[in-house]
Amino acid sequence: MSSPGDTPALPEHLYVHVPLCRTKCAYCDFYSLPLAGVTEDVSSIAASLAAQAQAWLARDVRPQLLKSLYIGGGTPTVLGPELAMLVAVLTTWFPLAPGAEVTVEANPESLDASLAAALAEAGVTRVSLGVQSLDDGVLAFLERPHDAATARAAAHAVRDAGLALSVDLICGIPGQTAQSWIDTLNGAIAMRPEHVSVYPLAIEAGTPLSAAVAIGDVPEPDPDTAADMMLLAQHVLGQAGLARYEVANYALPGAESRHNTAYWTGAPYLGVGPGAHGMLDAATAAAVGFTPARADDVARLRYSVACDLREGLTPMPRLDVEVLTGEETRREDVMLGLRLARGVADDEAGAAGVTGALETLEAAGLVELVESRWRTTERGWLLGNEVFSAVWAGE
Amino acid sequence: MTDPTLIRNFSIIAHIDHGKSTLADRMLELTNTIADRDMMEQVLDSMDIERERGITIKAQAVRVYFEAADGLTYQLNLIDTPGHVDFTYEVSRSLAACEGVLLVVDATQGVEAQTVANAQLAMNAHLEIVPIINKIDLPAADPERVRHEIEEGLAIPADDAVLTSGKTGLGVREALEAVVKHVPHPVGDPDAPLKALIFDSYFDAYRGVVALIRVMDGKVSKGMKVRLLATQTVTDVEEVGVRRPANVPVDALTVGEVGYLITGLKDPSIMKVGDTITLAKHGTEEPLPGYREVKPMVYTGLFPIDGDQYPELRDALDKLQLNDPALIYDPESSHALGFGFRVGFLGLLHMEVVKERLEREFDLDLLATAPSVEYHVFKTNGTSEYIHSPQDMPDPGTIDRMEEPYLKVTVLVPPEYVGAVMELAEGHRASFKDMQYLSKTTVEMHYEMPLSELIMDYFDQLKSRTKGYASLDYEYIGYRESALVKLDVLLATKIVDALSFIVHKDKAYARGKILTEKLREIIPRQMFEVPIQAAIGGRIIARETVKAKRKDVLAKCYGGDISRKRKLLEKQKKGKKRMKNVGNIEVPQEAFMAILKVDE
Repeated sequence: MSSPGDTPALPEHLYVHVPLCRTKCAYCDFYSLPLAGVTEDVSSIAASLAAQAQAWLARDVRPQLLKSLYIGGGTPTVLGPELAMLVAVLTTWFPLAPGAEVTVEANPESLDASLAAALAEAGVTRVSLGVQSLDDGVLAFLERPHDAATARAAAHAVRDAGLALSVDLICGIPGQTAQSWIDTLNGAIAMRPEHVSVYPLAIEAGTPLSAAVAIGDVPEPDPDTAADMMLLAQHVLGQAGLARYEVANYALPGAESRHNTAYWTGAPYLGVGPGAHGMLDAATAAAVGFTPARADDVARLRYSVACDLREGLTPMPRLDVEVLTGEETRREDVMLGLRLARGVADDEAGAAGVTGALETLEAAGLVELVESRWRTTERGWLLGNEVFSAVWAGE
Repeated sequence: MTDPTLIRNFSIIAHIDHGKSTLADRMLELTNTIADRDMMEQVLDSMDIERERGITIKAQAVRVYFEAADGLTYQLNLIDTPGHVDFTYEVSRSLAACEGVLLVVDATQGVEAQTVANAQLAMNAHLEIVPIINKIDLPAADPERVRHEIEEGLAIPADDAVLTSGKTGLGVREALEAVVKHVPHPVGDPDAPLKALIFDSYFDAYRGVVALIRVMDGKVSKGMKVRLLATQTVTDVEEVGVRRPANVPVDALTVGEVGYLITGLKDPSIMKVGDTITLAKHGTEEPLPGYREVKPMVYTGLFPIDGDQYPELRDALDKLQLNDPALIYDPESSHALGFGFRVGFLGLLHMEVVKERLEREFDLDLLATAPSVEYHVFKTNGTSEYIHSPQDMPDPGTIDRMEEPYLKVTVLVPPEYVGAVMELAEGHRASFKDMQYLSKTTVEMHYEMPLSELIMDYFDQLKSRTKGYASLDYEYIGYRESALVKLDVLLATKIVDALSFIVHKDKAYARGKILTEKLREIIPRQMFEVPIQAAIGGRIIARETVKAKRKDVLAKCYGGDISRKRKLLEKQKKGKKRMKNVGNIEVPQEAFMAILKVDE
């Protein structure tokens, strides 16, 4: 983990956001544009994203070998063969450390055997496949551009190309039955993934789904049903050897996502592309000239990339910056650490000044202190906001 | 002195939104009382709330000079009055300062309940009524129908009704000519000792209490020693003047004139609306008729959401009271809500306005408990007391009987909604008295009902059940016996005093049941199960449960967007702060008003 005292260096983790999708799904509020509405061809968009990444190398800080590269979206696979090219270009400019993890996100309808093989060839090690459900009715409700059979075929393609597979699933969807969810979980396990992510559906403002809920066409997702389904997932996936290591993530031993783990453990990461997020330690932030002049106690800097595909992607887009003090950084580390099954060391919590908050949460049965580490309990996983917000508030 | 035959004192009365204040604006313009550059809408409504809501809360008096068609210049004193029934007494005192009124009726809406009520007030005060049909520029204007309604419904000849448009200024000169022609000039004895009516007052931070007065007999000038009859206070006159609409000092106010008077008194409760001012020595001993003590009718508990704001709330109430002596308050403490005040108001509008001013002008976050009325409790030991908070209700075993304030309610409504009004009345313990057709399109219905029922959302429901057509007016007719019980609400088996209310025993079961259901919807799920119970005495009559919260997690955290996640958590936390912690239960503010929304 970096600290403000370290010599400034670029992060060891890189995220690249591909802001394109074949179509927008009803629930999604991530920054991405439907392909049909974009006039620029995908190869020049890929080149612009690569140029934004490359621009970081022009800054006066020491680059490091990448431990993880993650290409997310949107739907990176809509780039087709250009995606393999993008990976190759990025790993040329940002050389990988031995054993580095290179993930691309994929949607079933845009991933076939030949693309999977091309990605493997370009150095990709892992595919995160947006399956969401294996119930065609649920997929149609979510306005996903694929069915269950297509998802199974895409999973096959990933395995056949020798890539590690992560499967994304959503639960707590209006109309989704317990049986549908169990079938989806078992169907996902049958794909033999190393890693599964399970998200309860959230109604995000500004999405078609939130409009449908607002006018009463769709019932509000029932939090109790979502809770039942999350517990079911924990149980079913656990029996298949996929253990929860983070509030929403399950993996075979050793197959935990290194990139996502970086988010929860205070490791800096670069974010590239419209709407992407990055985090820098104080030394690096200062070296690249991002630290606001008046800020005297800056330990961490978070940014989001403020640019819009429709207005063109310049190599150095504006960044919206947020700085955290040392105290805030320590509290944030505990908050994020409690998303992980391994929890947070008691002395780290003490240094962050949140022991009192944790004791209150312990009394409510949301966290527990085991072998000098604070860990989230089963109830705490479901009531994560109570845990995170109490720790962040420090009270 | 001004020749009284060249003075006209008049008021403009109207149902809300019929265009009274805009018409007054045009009169000020036409008489060059206000330069164009200073002109803004609703000049006489000086409070933001008055302008925003289009209502008048404080009376105003402005003097204009009008050169009439007869070639003479007249001194016109326009007294702008509150239009709402909460302020009926204030209106009656303003009218007592006049010889005539302009009765403004919207040419599209026609006669409404407050038109009738205000016209009756004017008739009772024996004032000349000049009908004005306003807003005739609107496409839907139907002056003939409205003329007919005025004649049929109010028995006021309307052949000469002036057609005006406050918006375009059409007919405004004719309206002022009608004032000169039809409103009698004031008659008084210039040689008699001073006799002047206080028809409103306000507080000026530098000058103290400023009284708006009408001189009935004699004159008042700077340096005189005067006496207030109600309080027998003797004081010096520091200044007299007229409002144009800014204060302009004059040497004296003479018989028939309207103006302001400053004495240096700092305590508004001494300068009472309706009181009579006379000479300190050799003055009159006979007060002007109509004076009464203003008494609050509706009470509510006001509590700062943040308990630390208690001193600020007290200071704010002190300040508001300077301009609003009708506002009364006493400290109140609640187990559930901490320290606050029991505040008495003239009515629901008055309550809303005060709460809004406290929050806006003084930046306070307030929680209001459901309003109640003042009950009269007769005890078995022969004593009696007035209570205005459910918390003060004595042990039922010690109560012989109780009385509550009753109203005579007038509803004006198109005939097709008569059934809906009757149905609503039944649910509110209202007894039907009579009804009559004011015209083919308007029925006047009379009820008697308890004030406590009127404040139970009656007006909103009346509006919604009649598609907004019904208009309402009411007057107090005194106390009547009622079988009343206190209904308590328990959260997690503990009584929450701020949720208790007094209710007729026949309604208690139904309201308790609906209230617990409502509270179950309003109170968010907590980390533990929260039983909600309604109880009379110790007996539970209804129960609901807010289930424990099981899932609350923003599991999705995409692409390392930690900042957004933190902001969502902070937002969620802020939402909780707006709730009141009762014990360890987070209760939203609206829960304390839920009883008002119990629609049976």
